[in-house]
Amino acid sequence: MRNHSKIALILILVLSLAAGAFAQIKVKPMDIKQRTLKNGMKIVTLQDNSSPTVAIHVWYDVGGKNDPEGRSGFAHMFEHMMFKSTKNMPNEKMDRLTEDVGGFNNASTWDDFTNYYEVVPSNHLEVLLWAEADRMQNLNVDETNFASERDVVKEEFRQGVLAQPYGRFYEYLSSLSYQKHPYKRGVIGNLDELQAATTKDANEFYKTFYRPDNAVLIVVGDFDQKQLDGWVDKYFGSIKKPDGKIPRVTIKEPEWTAERRYEKTGPIVPFPATAINYMAPPSNSADVPAIRLAEVILSGGESSRLYQEMVRNQQIAQEASFNLDLKLDGGLLSFIGIASEGHTSSELEKAFLAELKKIQEKPVDAKELEKAKNQLITQTLQRRENNDGKAIAIERAIAFQGDPLAVNTEIQKLQAVSAADIQRVMKKYFTDNNRVVIYYNQAAEEKESK
Amino acid sequence: MKYEISKLTKSMKILFLIGALCVGIFAQSTEPKPGAPKSVKIPAVKEFTLKNGLKVAVVERPGVPLVSAMLMVKTGAEMEDEEKAGLADMTASLLTKGTKTRSATEIAEALDFLGADLDAGANWKSSGVSMNIMSDKLDKGLELMSDAVLNPAFKESEIELLRSQTLDGLSYNLTQPGFLANYVASVYSFNKHPAGGTIESITNIKRNDIVDFYNSFFIADNSVLIFTGDITAANAKELAQKYFGKMGNDNGINEITESSLPGITNIMESPESVESRKKEDAKAPLLNRILVVDLPNSGQAAVSFARNMQHNGRIYWDDKKNGGVVSKTYFPAIVMNSLLGGGYSSRLNQEIRIKRGLSYGAGSSFNWQYYSSDFGTRTQTKNESAAEVAELVTTELKKLSEGEIPENELNPRRMVLTGSFGRNLETNEGLTSALGELYAFELSPDNLNSYMNGVMKVTDKDVKKFAAENFNGGDIIIVGDYSIFKDDLAKRFPKIPVTVVRADELDITKEDLRKK
Repeated sequence: MRNHSKIALILILVLSLAAGAFAQIKVKPMDIKQRTLKNGMKIVTLQDNSSPTVAIHVWYDVGGKNDPEGRSGFAHMFEHMMFKSTKNMPNEKMDRLTEDVGGFNNASTWDDFTNYYEVVPSNHLEVLLWAEADRMQNLNVDETNFASERDVVKEEFRQGVLAQPYGRFYEYLSSLSYQKHPYKRGVIGNLDELQAATTKDANEFYKTFYRPDNAVLIVVGDFDQKQLDGWVDKYFGSIKKPDGKIPRVTIKEPEWTAERRYEKTGPIVPFPATAINYMAPPSNSADVPAIRLAEVILSGGESSRLYQEMVRNQQIAQEASFNLDLKLDGGLLSFIGIASEGHTSSELEKAFLAELKKIQEKPVDAKELEKAKNQLITQTLQRRENNDGKAIAIERAIAFQGDPLAVNTEIQKLQAVSAADIQRVMKKYFTDNNRVVIYYNQAAEEKESK
Repeated sequence: MKYEISKLTKSMKILFLIGALCVGIFAQSTEPKPGAPKSVKIPAVKEFTLKNGLKVAVVERPGVPLVSAMLMVKTGAEMEDEEKAGLADMTASLLTKGTKTRSATEIAEALDFLGADLDAGANWKSSGVSMNIMSDKLDKGLELMSDAVLNPAFKESEIELLRSQTLDGLSYNLTQPGFLANYVASVYSFNKHPAGGTIESITNIKRNDIVDFYNSFFIADNSVLIFTGDITAANAKELAQKYFGKMGNDNGINEITESSLPGITNIMESPESVESRKKEDAKAPLLNRILVVDLPNSGQAAVSFARNMQHNGRIYWDDKKNGGVVSKTYFPAIVMNSLLGGGYSSRLNQEIRIKRGLSYGAGSSFNWQYYSSDFGTRTQTKNESAAEVAELVTTELKKLSEGEIPENELNPRRMVLTGSFGRNLETNEGLTSALGELYAFELSPDNLNSYMNGVMKVTDKDVKKFAAENFNGGDIIIVGDYSIFKDDLAKRFPKIPVTVVRADELDITKEDLRKK
């Protein structure tokens, strides 16, 4: 049965009333419809017939943090396998159904989730629903495919981590900061544990996590609601909900109680780098909007504080940024800098901490706050320009806040943040004990083992 | 056909009627057929010219309250001297770094306050400033954009800051195998200079060079102003006049003539000579040389094939006489590329990634230029398999002209092009940059309407002919840890001369690519 949420409609009314208060920005809420199939699969749809294309996302509640023990990188490697053969489709059939008809497909694995997505001309929607339903239940994991994709993932590791001057540095951010939480392993994993993985692991992983009650289907674009609902019932509604519970990560990262410092080196490091990490609150925390605005004030655009102070005035950095990395169980708040010629990791650290002190001690003024809000809201709207952008926004709301309708309150929540809120969160999370400092520099001449 | 479609629909209706009980098995094992295709709307472009000669193009697309605006100057790195490589990009980048009345910081503050996302820079063929902004802030945004374009101060302190940032960025990039491969190809294979400059050329650029470049090319006659999104043509006209109506023309533009282009020696060749050389090239072997840039400790090797198309230069651009229509070679070229290395299922990615797991991805592309476009393939692999990948790339290039191209392979590759073309036009930014590229090459916006048809008409013979005429005499460039693939490379390419230069001894401005 269809039980489309009425909440979306009510929300439109609330927002149009509220719009008066923020005279400048009027955002039409997305008219999202939601329902849950009997097998537990959630369906989220948004009709928009302005362009004859449709974006389809299947979101699974499994990510790098669910890698089996001793198999770092497994969830991501498994994502690659989902493009191989099923009972009804040969290898790379998804490419035939998307690329070959003028669409595209891809997938990505995050610490907390994995998504599979396609954009196709809208007359191909039914075929893609069939195909997504098929690979949710009928995947074949064979040795040849497994070995070949493992090699691809190893090349992905080499390209992203080994061949980039700062690839290893970025891996250190998680691996050195988290003490217990599986986030410490990183999504890409490492060459040895990728090599150790077997097809047996893959079959088990598939059975455990790839099931309708662990997935959300998101469809945005040119479709007829009734027809879409019929197709969804036909292809996804017929999938059986397996018995047994889905295992969840229960390990909690212990509180960081003392500053930790690391000095690391790499084989090709053109300029010294520094990272200062603090443990962030969970992605659904009410403090997140204030932190996002602090992120923009510190490092959004060339007028931002870090750019002005470290890149333009002191000229000690070629890049100086502050990032909030959202994760369900608490991501990282990271100051990341790459020094300019002749400057050092410790100069970067000192400058970052001075800027942190400023924003903690003095509230941001009204104009600076308004600027940050304008930047963030414009960016949010821009990202929702086409069907895929809207689908991504909905998917992230599901992933990080557990509610697709959070897309419709995101802008309101940003608007509501005050200077005092920003000062409060900057004091709350950025304490000396909650800190990990990483310096990254060129290794001495000796050759690294290959 | 019609009968079959209706039959299918009917049987599906029956399936629904039977109900949920027994649908499962049938529903899941049979692939449904796509419905009838809908046509993609190509947006209508309105054009007008201001009194000062500035052309303005507008696409009205209400709905989302966003506008994309771009001031495009039809001159880029192609007009730099080799000794001043990087000049075009530095000139454009400095526009937002201070005007007669605003400091760099004031401009950044004001733009960020508007939530505007402004980008300034140059590529090989054009320079410019582009901006994405909420439509209710467009007026204020354009005031800043026009101030940047019309009144730049080019302060010495800003030039020095940008220079040191550019040099740092370049040193960083020069440690990456993929970047290095392109960088050396620009000189070694394309007989040009790298558009981003070299350490020496960036150091050489003086304020005078910047001012001269600006005065010569940032003029109304040589520019196009493009608006797309939530704006009307009437509004665009008013804003264009208000903010760019005073853009000058009297700086004495250097006419873009064939002989004024640096680094290209044979563009004045007679058509007969071009034809005879084409025939010669057709007989030449595919590979001319192999260049290795040795980067010890590199995490991977970058492998590319590079060939410039001097004798068939005007692949993209034709000329005004042709009514601003892309040249006859353009569509065969892009369909060839789609087949070889454009998109996931292209041949290079099939052979290198999908079948053999040798890389995370492999592809190819053209860099369109006025007189002599460049073509390159790119991929990265572990050092151990660098030579094997080079051989696979070579084999695939040969197969294009020598092997079969079945229609059931070719047609999907056409669809890849038309599909991504349509998708790209969905966003204001994508549409603006597509228009910008056409105008940069003196092409009419009508080419947007003929694109789909142009792609669909390309046959396997067209692709084979293009490959046979254009690739022979190319180079393989490998950047990686040579000690690891040295023996394998010699074994796989016994007849091709190999030049090896250590990355720390590399100087692309020298004849033998080595520092003295």
